[in-house]
Amino acid sequence: MSNNYIPTIGLEIHLETKSKSKMFSSAPNTYGAKPNTSVLPIDLGMPGTLPTVNEEAVKNAIKLSHALHMKIDHTLHFDRKNYFYSDLPKGYQITQNERPIGSDGYLDFQLDGSSVRVEIERLHMEEDTCKQLHYTDFTLLDYNRAGVPLCEIVTRPCIHDARVARLYVEKIREIGIYLDVSDGKMEEGSLRCDVNISIAKEGAKEFGTKVEIKNLNSTANVEKAIAYEIERQKSLLENGEKVRQETRRFDESKMETVLMRVKTDAVDYKYFPEPNILPIKLSDEFVNDTIESSYELADVKFARYTNVFKVSEYDANTLLKNRSLALLFDDATKTCQYYDLLIHFINGDVLTYVSGANNVFNLSGKHLGELINLVGENKISNAQARDIFKVIAKDNKSPIDIVSEQGITQISDEDTLKEMIKKLLDENPQAIEDFKNGKGRAASFLVGLIMKLTKGKANPALASKLINEELKRR
Amino acid sequence: MDKHILDLSIEEIHEALVKGEVKPSDLVKEALKRAHESKDNAFEMILDDLALKKAEELDHVVVPKNNLFFAIPYVLKDNYSTKGIKTTASSNILNDYIPLYDATIYSILKESNAIMIAKASMDELAMGGTGTTSHIGTTFNPFDKAHVRSIGGSSSGSAASVASAVVPFAIGSDTGDSVRKPASYAGLVGYKPTWGLLSRFGLFSYAPSLDTVAYFTRDVIDARHLFNLLKKHDDKDETSLNVELKEDVEKKNVKNVKLLVFKDLDINLKDETLLKTYHDLLNRLKEAGMDIVEVEFGHDLLSAIYPTYNVISFAEATSNNANLDGVKFGPRPEGNTYQEVMMNARTVGFSNLIKRRFVIGSYVLYKENQKTLFLRAKKVRRLIVQRLNELLKNADGFISLAAPNIAPKFADATDKLSDAYVINDNYLAIANFSGGPSITLPIGLKENMPFGINITAKAFDDLNLLNIAEVVESFSGMKGLSAKEVDKYVK
Repeated sequence: MSNNYIPTIGLEIHLETKSKSKMFSSAPNTYGAKPNTSVLPIDLGMPGTLPTVNEEAVKNAIKLSHALHMKIDHTLHFDRKNYFYSDLPKGYQITQNERPIGSDGYLDFQLDGSSVRVEIERLHMEEDTCKQLHYTDFTLLDYNRAGVPLCEIVTRPCIHDARVARLYVEKIREIGIYLDVSDGKMEEGSLRCDVNISIAKEGAKEFGTKVEIKNLNSTANVEKAIAYEIERQKSLLENGEKVRQETRRFDESKMETVLMRVKTDAVDYKYFPEPNILPIKLSDEFVNDTIESSYELADVKFARYTNVFKVSEYDANTLLKNRSLALLFDDATKTCQYYDLLIHFINGDVLTYVSGANNVFNLSGKHLGELINLVGENKISNAQARDIFKVIAKDNKSPIDIVSEQGITQISDEDTLKEMIKKLLDENPQAIEDFKNGKGRAASFLVGLIMKLTKGKANPALASKLINEELKRR
Repeated sequence: MDKHILDLSIEEIHEALVKGEVKPSDLVKEALKRAHESKDNAFEMILDDLALKKAEELDHVVVPKNNLFFAIPYVLKDNYSTKGIKTTASSNILNDYIPLYDATIYSILKESNAIMIAKASMDELAMGGTGTTSHIGTTFNPFDKAHVRSIGGSSSGSAASVASAVVPFAIGSDTGDSVRKPASYAGLVGYKPTWGLLSRFGLFSYAPSLDTVAYFTRDVIDARHLFNLLKKHDDKDETSLNVELKEDVEKKNVKNVKLLVFKDLDINLKDETLLKTYHDLLNRLKEAGMDIVEVEFGHDLLSAIYPTYNVISFAEATSNNANLDGVKFGPRPEGNTYQEVMMNARTVGFSNLIKRRFVIGSYVLYKENQKTLFLRAKKVRRLIVQRLNELLKNADGFISLAAPNIAPKFADATDKLSDAYVINDNYLAIANFSGGPSITLPIGLKENMPFGINITAKAFDDLNLLNIAEVVESFSGMKGLSAKEVDKYVK
């Protein structure tokens, strides 16, 4: 046995999924509403209330399961997890213990140029608890969150690298966002991640003692917390101490994990089948239709962008960081085939614009495509496109209309430009002199003059080429 | 006005209303008067203002001939959620709890313009079968003026209010026998429909896989009318079943009915008066052409009903009542931590019987006990239902005395290990296991105390069972029995 310690990591992700109403309640599923306003009697666990299953939440779980290559159970079974806690209104949580809707899946992604696979044990549906706001002398309870649909996604203890853990969380987040089943906001708690981690000597047959880390609010912290925890456990073992089974949290200011509680025997949740919901049979048609109606994942888009549209991996990756811009791109490609121009324009001008605090963005893909077509066809310059974009971004006006209304054109006719250049050189003998003396700036000076003369309408690239040719001729 | 109008059935009162012989407000005033005069401690709350206001409103409305329930006063068990009206399930932990929503059953009755005049006391949280565990004390049996005999439970106040002719019907709930047993002790028709046909939304859960909306009426026809009214698919209840029930009109003829008698069930019946009346009835039915066949059910399975019921219902109950923690509603005790608040709320909020059931319920759900207790009980439940369904494949139902004797005295100790107790006092839960319809109806009196038989049928055979019960009722000579007029029925 070597002296190398191998960490083993498993992740549990709770993903709040989007739907109009809650998991088992018809109360609206809203984030950020005034506390205790999205609440029905069942969300407070009032006597006599009964759960009803939210179809939209089930569809979200099916879409996620499918994206994670899981087996999908065509019969829904729900169980009760019983425990007393101040954030648990009914005294039990309705979850799926025995038969999760998704099982035995995996997720592949790239790290340092090679492919990594994370095995996923299960995905199950459950309801969120109410939100507790702790103060010194009291705790406030916000039941808006009570009953919000959750998908819990549990990996097998198959990760051995903090970076893989981080990438996995980022990938799950991306999948949730691209399927439009979750907003994936870790900072708002709609994606929560718990880490289980142990270390053992290389070649050891058994896992070491497992430590759980909770309250990780960013993917960067997932990586940092794991890295810290690996070192902490290593130094304990190297000093002949034991790792205790405990729950820790990550303290961002100290960049270290701190003890929350030592785990004694596991709580007995006394699971049993939820008697208020009979098993629900899902037809093959329902499951297949749900899967078919799923939105395209980022990976699929990436392949299409790079293989079919031949844009660079860098550009594709930049675009895919923002789903709504990727959708805009997809939409624009229906009218515009200048993919490189289009993706650069979106990654540059459009991204800058939509990142602006108060910028209203309503431009359709069709109009954006038309705008880039004008550039591609040399009818307008990039600078002109930028100006037009600012005019149409908010009101979604047609760029073609703008061009014709305002008489915006680009002079790309060689003969016209040549005439102008000849005239210009005749008027500026000094510039020709400078050029001959090796002053490169002379050419750009002349391009500037042409642009000024044409009020920006000259095609700058063409003008520059023709000026250089003409200078050499003199 | 006929001064005994409330002793009549729903159908009869409706006719009187249609004919204009009685006004809604007359009816309700009389019902309220009787409720206040009642000495049986049957009510959590008598709703004078609410009921009178509604009745006076209805005085000005033409009585619709197609709505039997128009202006009919009734009593609702206090475990149905009523918006704006205190609902405690007779438990201290819900003292002063005022719900924010209506139970579906209450909504349906409200829409039909039936008038709720009171909320009935009950055994705390619908657990217990004695009528002694309500937080307002014991409910008494109107047939027993001396107040030494029980009315049973848990729907004790509902039973007492129909038996003392305060109202012609009352809503209860039945998890093991909570309507059908008190019906026997109070001389009433007690009907538990097929599980899933009547919405449980708003009924405080005791054990959802067994809980059934059930009720008391004065005769079988009324039970049928109420069934027709309340049987309605409800989107708010995932276990609400939308099924078209089959009816075989041939079953209205006694000659086309086949009932089973379980020999190993009836063998424990010892009371001669009850047995004689019961056997006389069976003989009259046989003479009239009914096919009554004796079969063995299986002693082991019969003995297993009671413990199986306890394990399943206590397990579900401990979870269903975990919402009662003093945090969100009901009395909020002091405490330095949430654990203390919860412990204090539950310590003073529940009686000992409830705590005992919760402890047992938790015990059987523990991981190490689930297999040997909870899961085994569920397996035994399946075996019992399997046996029942097998026997009922070629019969319309089975019949027995609903209870081995008349209402027991509070002071009398029962031999809790005897077959008579373990089996005959607790077998009615078999219909909660199977979900099938089950009806109790009075057949006789002993010492002026009533007793009844029970007939249980296959799930979804409600209409046929009600037809058969009507046939049997016509042979019983006890149709319309009430404590007010018990003398008329004494032979």
